Parts: sequence; C-alpha cells; structure tokens
Amino acid sequence: MNTPGFFIAMLPEHLVLLGMVLLIVLDVAGRGRRAALPLALACTGAASLVALVLAVQGYSAAPFAGHFSVDPATLLAKALVLALALPVLLMSRGDFGPAADARETGLGSEFALLLLSSLYGACLMQSADSFLTLFLGLEILSLPVYTLVLLAYRRPESAEAALKYLVLGGTASATFLMGVSLIYGATGSMAITAFVQALGSGSTMAQAATVLVVVSFFLKAAVVPFHGWAPDAYEAATVPVTGFMAVIVKAAALLAVVRLFGSATLATPMLELVAVLPLLSIVWGNLAAMKQESLRRMLAYSSIAHAGYLFFALLGAPEGRLQAVTFYLLAYGVLNLLAFAALPPADDDLQRDRLDHLKGLFHRSPYAALMIGIAMLSLAGIPPFPGFVAKFLIFKNVFAAGHATWAVLGLVGSYLGIYFYLRVVQFMFMSPDAAALPTSGESTIARRWAGVASGACLAATLAVAVFPGWVLARL
Amino acid sequence: MFEAGLLNLVLFLPVLGIALLLMLPAGQDELVRRATLGTMTLQFLATTLLYIRFDPAVAGLQFETRLPWIASWGVHYQIGLDGYNILLVMLTAFLGPLVTAGAFSAIQKDVKLFYAMVFAIQFAMMGTFLAQDLFLFYVFWEAMLIPMFLMIGIWGGQRRIYATIKFFLYTAFGSILMLAALIYLVWSLQSSTGVLSFAFADLVKTQLPLDVQTWLLAAFALSFAIKVPMAPLHTWLPDAHVEAPTAGSVILAGVLLKMGTYGFMKLGFPLFPDATALFTPFLMTLAVVSIVYGACLALVQDDIKKIIAYSSISHLGYVMLGLLSLEITGIQGAVIQMVSHGLVAAGLFLMVGMIYERCHTRELSAYGGLAKLLPVYSVFFMVLTLASVGLPTTSGFTGEFLVLLGAFKAAWPVYAAGQGAWPLVLAVVAVSGVVLGALYMLRFALHFLYGPVKVPPAGDGQHGHVLTDLDGREKAILAALVVAVFALGLFPDEPMRKTEGAAKAYQQLVATPRAPVMAGGIR
Repeated sequence: MNTPGFFIAMLPEHLVLLGMVLLIVLDVAGRGRRAALPLALACTGAASLVALVLAVQGYSAAPFAGHFSVDPATLLAKALVLALALPVLLMSRGDFGPAADARETGLGSEFALLLLSSLYGACLMQSADSFLTLFLGLEILSLPVYTLVLLAYRRPESAEAALKYLVLGGTASATFLMGVSLIYGATGSMAITAFVQALGSGSTMAQAATVLVVVSFFLKAAVVPFHGWAPDAYEAATVPVTGFMAVIVKAAALLAVVRLFGSATLATPMLELVAVLPLLSIVWGNLAAMKQESLRRMLAYSSIAHAGYLFFALLGAPEGRLQAVTFYLLAYGVLNLLAFAALPPADDDLQRDRLDHLKGLFHRSPYAALMIGIAMLSLAGIPPFPGFVAKFLIFKNVFAAGHATWAVLGLVGSYLGIYFYLRVVQFMFMSPDAAALPTSGESTIARRWAGVASGACLAATLAVAVFPGWVLARL
Repeated sequence: MFEAGLLNLVLFLPVLGIALLLMLPAGQDELVRRATLGTMTLQFLATTLLYIRFDPAVAGLQFETRLPWIASWGVHYQIGLDGYNILLVMLTAFLGPLVTAGAFSAIQKDVKLFYAMVFAIQFAMMGTFLAQDLFLFYVFWEAMLIPMFLMIGIWGGQRRIYATIKFFLYTAFGSILMLAALIYLVWSLQSSTGVLSFAFADLVKTQLPLDVQTWLLAAFALSFAIKVPMAPLHTWLPDAHVEAPTAGSVILAGVLLKMGTYGFMKLGFPLFPDATALFTPFLMTLAVVSIVYGACLALVQDDIKKIIAYSSISHLGYVMLGLLSLEITGIQGAVIQMVSHGLVAAGLFLMVGMIYERCHTRELSAYGGLAKLLPVYSVFFMVLTLASVGLPTTSGFTGEFLVLLGAFKAAWPVYAAGQGAWPLVLAVVAVSGVVLGALYMLRFALHFLYGPVKVPPAGDGQHGHVLTDLDGREKAILAALVVAVFALGLFPDEPMRKTEGAAKAYQQLVATPRAPVMAGGIR
C-alpha cells in the first residue's frame, strides 16, 4: 500500500466516508436533521467531481494490488453513479428533510447516512479486483437500501416489501458466494479475472459457477424471472428511495457486471443465458407495466425491461460494452430521476403516485406534466430524446457482433413498451382533470430543491439529446 | 453559402417559434396565433426564395450542410435540397401558414400548446424531407409521431384517445422494424466496404445479396406502406383523420402521408433495387387495390371526413403506381400527384373543418343545398372537388394522367412481348379508379351542395339558425390553395423541370440491378 496512491485513488470514497463520519458527529451534537442533506449533497458532489477530474486526467493506480484499483473507466463509472445520486438527494427534502418533522417521523440524519453508505458500496464495487472487494461493495450497497425502503414508511405493506427485498437480496448474496466459491475451486483464484477464465474453461463446475454469479446479478438488477421483489419494493419505498433503487443500485450492479465480463466474448451457454432472460425481461416487464395503476410500480416493471436492454449490451463486442452501458445508464438514470423529481408532492404517499391522479396534470402543473412526459417518451425510446440513442447504441453493438436475430427480437420487445409510457402521457394531457391532492406539509424550500433536481435532469437530458456525439466521445 | 444558411433557418424556424411562444406571457392567445402565423409565413417566404434559387441543371444536393453529429458512428447532420424533396419542402412550407390560420377560430383550448405542437410537427416534417443522413431521417421520422399523438389526443373528437394510440402504435411498429433494418444496412455497408456512414449517397452503393435485400426492403416497405397508407395497412388512417382536429387532418393528409411515398422514392426502392424488382408485381397490385378499394369505401361513407380520408388512400395509390412504373412520365406524375393531393386534400379538410365549426356535425345526410346558403363556400368546395376528381387544368389531372400514362407505357411493352398481361390489367383497373373518384366526389358534392336545403341544428340544438358564409380569413386560405391548384394544373412544366433530374436518377438507381453476382451473404 502506497500512501499517496491510497489517498488520491480512493478520494471519492474518502469524501463519501467523511460525509458519513461528519453526519454521525453532527447527529450526536443534535444538529443532524438540519445539516444532513446539504452535507450529503456537498460530499457526493465533491466526490463525483473528484472522480470526474481524475478520470479526465487519465489517473490510474492500484493502492491495494489485487483488490482495489482505479483507472479512468472506473473513475468515470464512479463519477456517474455519484452524480446520479445528487438529484435523489435534492428531491428527498420533502420526505426526509427538516420539514418531514411535521409528520413526526422522528428522523434525524438516517436517510442521508444510509444513502451515503450505499453510495460507498457502489463506488467500491467499480474498483473491485477481487471477489472479496466485490462482495464487500455489493453488501455495503444493498444493506442500507433494505433499510431505506422501510425508512419513514407510511403503510404496513412497506414492511412486507422490505422483508421480501431483504430475503431475495440475501439469496442473491448467497448465490454470489456459492458461485465465487466454485470459481475459486475451479481456478484457485479470487481475482475477478478468474471469472473470465472460468467462462472460457469447459469444466462443468466453472460453467455452473459463472451462471451462479450472473444469476446473482440478475437478482440485484431485477431480471425476469428474478424480478419478483422489484415491483413491491419500488412501490413501498418513498419516491426518492424508489429513484435510488431504480437508478443507482441498478447502475452499480450493471457496471460491475461489465467489469466482471471484461474482455470475454460470450459463447454458449452464457450467450443464451444473457440473451434469453433479458429478452424475457424486456417482454414481460413491458407487458406487465401496461396494467399497473401506480406510477412507481409501473416504473418498476419498466426498470425490469430496461435491465433487459442493459444486459443485452453484453452480447456486443467487449470493447463497446462499457461505453454502451455507461451511456445507457446516464440516459436512463437522468430520465427516471426527471420523472421522480417532477412528480408533484402530496400528503398521501399512496395517492401521490396513483396514475389516476396524474390525469389532467398538464392543467394543474404544466411544467411537471411536460417533464414527466419527456421522461416517459424518452424511456419508450422515441427520438429525439436520449433514450433512443442509448437503445440504438446497444442494439447496434448487438447487430455488429453478429447476433441479428436477438437484436431484432429485443427491438420488437421494446416496441411492446411504447403503450404504457404513452398511457401516462395520455393521462396527463388528454384526460379530464383529476382533483389536486392536498399538500400541507410541503415547504416551498423542498419544492425548490426538487425543482433544481428536475431542472438539472432536464438540462442533462437535452444535452444528451442534442449532442450525443460529444457525450459518447468522452465515455 | 447564403442559401445553405437559409435552408438551416427554414428547418429551425419552427424551433425558434416554440421558443418565442414560451416567452409570450400566459393568456395571450391572440398574440400566440399571430406569432405562429408570422413565423410560418417567414418560413414560407424563405422556402420560396430557395425554390427560386434551386437550379434544376445541377445533379445531386444543393444548399447542403454537413456537420458531424455522432462522429464515432459516422452520423452527420446533413441536410440539403434536391429534386426528390424540393416540391415536398415547398408544399410543407406552403401549408404551414394555412394550417395555422385555419385553426384560429377552431382551437380555443390550450392555444399555446397547440401551436407549439404545430411548430413541432412542422419541424419534424421539414427535417424528414431535408435529411440526407439515414439516422437523422429516422430521428425526424419518429419524432413526428409525438406532436401528432398529442394533437389528435388533446384537441380531437369523441374517440380521440383510441384513434391517437392506434395511430402511434401502428406507425411505431413499422418504424421499429425499419430501425432494425437500417442498423443492419449500415453495418453490412461497413463490413463489406469499411465505410461507416449513414449518408444516403453512400448507402445506395451498398451491394447486398438478394435475400438480404428482400428482408431489408420488407422492413422498410412495411414502415413506409403503413405511413402511405396502402391497403391493407390503412386502418389507422380513417380513425386518425376523423378524430383529429382540422389542423391535424390537414397536416396528415397534406404532408404526413407523403412521407411514406417519399420514403419509398428516396430510400426504399433505390436502396434495394433487386428486391424492388421482385416486389414490384406485388406492390403494384397493392397500389391498385388501394386505388379501387379506397374509392369504393369513399363511395359509401356518411361521415364527410371519412370520404376524404378514404379518397386519400385512393389518391396515394396512384403515387405508388407511378413510382413503380419506372417510367419518367409515371415518376414525374407521382411527384406531381403527391403535391396535388397535398393541396387538394388539405383544402377539402379545411373546408370540412369550416362547416363543422358552424354546424357541429360531419354527417353527410344532415346537410343539403348548401349552395343556396353559402355561395362562396360552395364555389370553393366545387373547385376543390373537381380538382380531386382530376378535371383538366387542375393539379389532380396532371398527376393522375401522367401516372396512368406511365403505367401504360411500362405495361404495354411487357404485354406486347408476351411476358404477361398483369401490368396491363392493373393499369386498366387503375383507370377505373378515376371513374370511381368522380363518382364519390360528385355524390358528395351533390348531397352537400345541391338538393333540398337542409341545415343541421347548431351546437346549442337551435334549428333554423342562419349560416354565415366564409369570412375574410377563410376566403384567403382557400384562395391561396385554389391558386396553387390551378398553377400546378396549368403550368406543371416549371415544377417538373425541378424534379426531372431526380426522377431520372431514381429510375436509373432502381432499374439497375446491384446484387453481387456471386451469391453469398455478408454473415
């Protein structure tokens, strides 16, 4: 371990950790509630910025050789994940900020603390060189989220959903560990490169090991048939937490998978595994989303479908995978958060995201309706919005790798998704107005913060839509 | 240089228009209307200038702009005018102010959003025609769906939600397969020649084996045929037309349907000539079926919007027939027919909108003897009806006549050489479409304008209210259209000179086989 390397290479992580420590100290001093969100924002923003600057400078180092290393690609991944957390923090003031006091939730800085801790895990995963670090990151990422789902819960179903999530998350961890132990058995190594080695070897044990590891990531990213927890957990959680799960948890898992697959070209049976299940995910996610009455539940199914597109990226050539996934996550993350940030606040959390209450939203709140509309159409992959270019990139790579049939099937599957996104737009713009929901506890500051979140997401959306070439050249 | 800049301005004026509308204070509906009309008129004037400066002697693109957009994929922002798109661009720009002015009184709800959508549609349509890069083309092609979806869904009639979702899902299905085909096309170009480009000019050089061409053309053709629409893929059109507000119908019939035929002419056929030769008998049959089937359906409708909607299917069948004849006359006729139908159908839909605003019903049987009540309206209506029928001196005649001439020119040698009578049979049946066209349009006009006077109750259920004839705004809109219809009918030479080069290029591209002699796929 070399000290300056340790300091600079892990600076993003250190900043997040610093935030956590400060939060605990402030909490003890009794000032946690007021300072929590600004502090978390500052630390996350600084960490993201540092990661970005290091990435642009082409910094790479391996402070813990064999366990933890950074290079521009991983730093960029960290910068992306951290940056996507900023809108989440901004939009959470209404639910978890000082104003949440009015509902006597008794919350201090727990939300910010758990969120930072989860982010720490997300960052750690991106730099993992050994399965040990990867597992550590995965657990640090997941454990706080189980709690976050339940934090400030408003109805009993939340407890059920959180438990479901916990159990299935535990199953994912167990599956992962089983896979890793088999890989260790087959290759005698705990380095993540052993995964590629196992992929290439013909032994049944090695093959089974890789399948188990991939399945554990399917569980984390909610790919059919391992998606059961997602709709419940997404619906049960408070809106910012849903956004966090849909965007950051998924992004961290997918980026880690790409790192895991490295330069391996897929062959049977792994090829079929990452083609068939994601395809099912696309089809089923899109079909099931059509019937949902809750926005969060609908977006859960949408995120199941999007997990399918993301895993499809693995079918492409190894060189293009990281770019495709990063770009997709950028577009997908920004758009999801745009929709969540623009969702008008309401006292009744359950009613807030009934699709029925979005009816006629354009007349009550044109800005919110336009933002959610842009997010929906973009998630559906309709140009000129960024979702289209992102999808195009993935399918282009799949075509170029020679898997034309899978690509066509995936595209047709994505067609199935258009209807339910349109339905939201239809509700907001074309349906007779629903009554506005009462909003007593919302402070104007919370609204302003959420406005900043949606504004930032909108700016990013437009930038990616107008200059996709510029963004792609930097990934 | 100046012209290239001006062309970019023409394309982006609607975007500036949207920005302008956003800056206007809320509640100023009249100001919004004026601003939109002003911007659209400016666009029309700029386009006219470009039209005049367009040099028919130059082969290929004029006033071109080409900038890298997504450099690593070879995607460029490339726009330009050529013989393929010059008339359609002109048509789009010409209809813009008319659509805007036509909606002044009809649209009272969400005025600002409405005109923002009109701008967005105008932008996307212009972009589709001007794009010379397949990626850019696809972006505009698809983007156009969004504002149209909102326009039908927000300002439409009773069953607007059904109609607009059907419209979106129908067209999007075609597009998704086209997307798959275009990715495949571009990457086969790259793998065979090493050139990574989405430019039309590069893509037409792709040499693909026949089986691949067949699949790709099938995907492109599905997308374009839905948009045209050709029977049996037309069922979205009557719904969309009937439920859309007048402006939506005018845009649909005036410009949007031409995007399908333009797609065939610019992309579908020239990219895959060998597969086109294979598909021609089939597509030609579908074109003639569309002509006759559309006309027959128009004959029995009681909803006046549906009559015009089905007549559109019939008229666009001629365009397809002309494009497939591969005779210069037929191709030129097809282009004229596109513009002519754009003008005439737009005019008829505007007139239907005007009477609907007064009487609030579209049932043909509710009307009668309007000629006595609304003399000015009736004159305009009759002129447009006759243009739709194809009376000589109107634009309808030029288009249909040339298309049929081309079809016969192409069919006769085949028949004379004893290679089959099918093309000739199709051409003969297509002629019957002209007769049917006269029948349904005259039936329409007869019930509508003549016979015993029948006036439907007004919206408030009052009988015997006095119908007011056209006001100045409406007269001006229709006069502009009628002048254009006659101009195109009497002096078709001038526009045809501008498109002649493109027609020849198209004929050359499609008639030359391009599949490599050696069989064998790229995979």
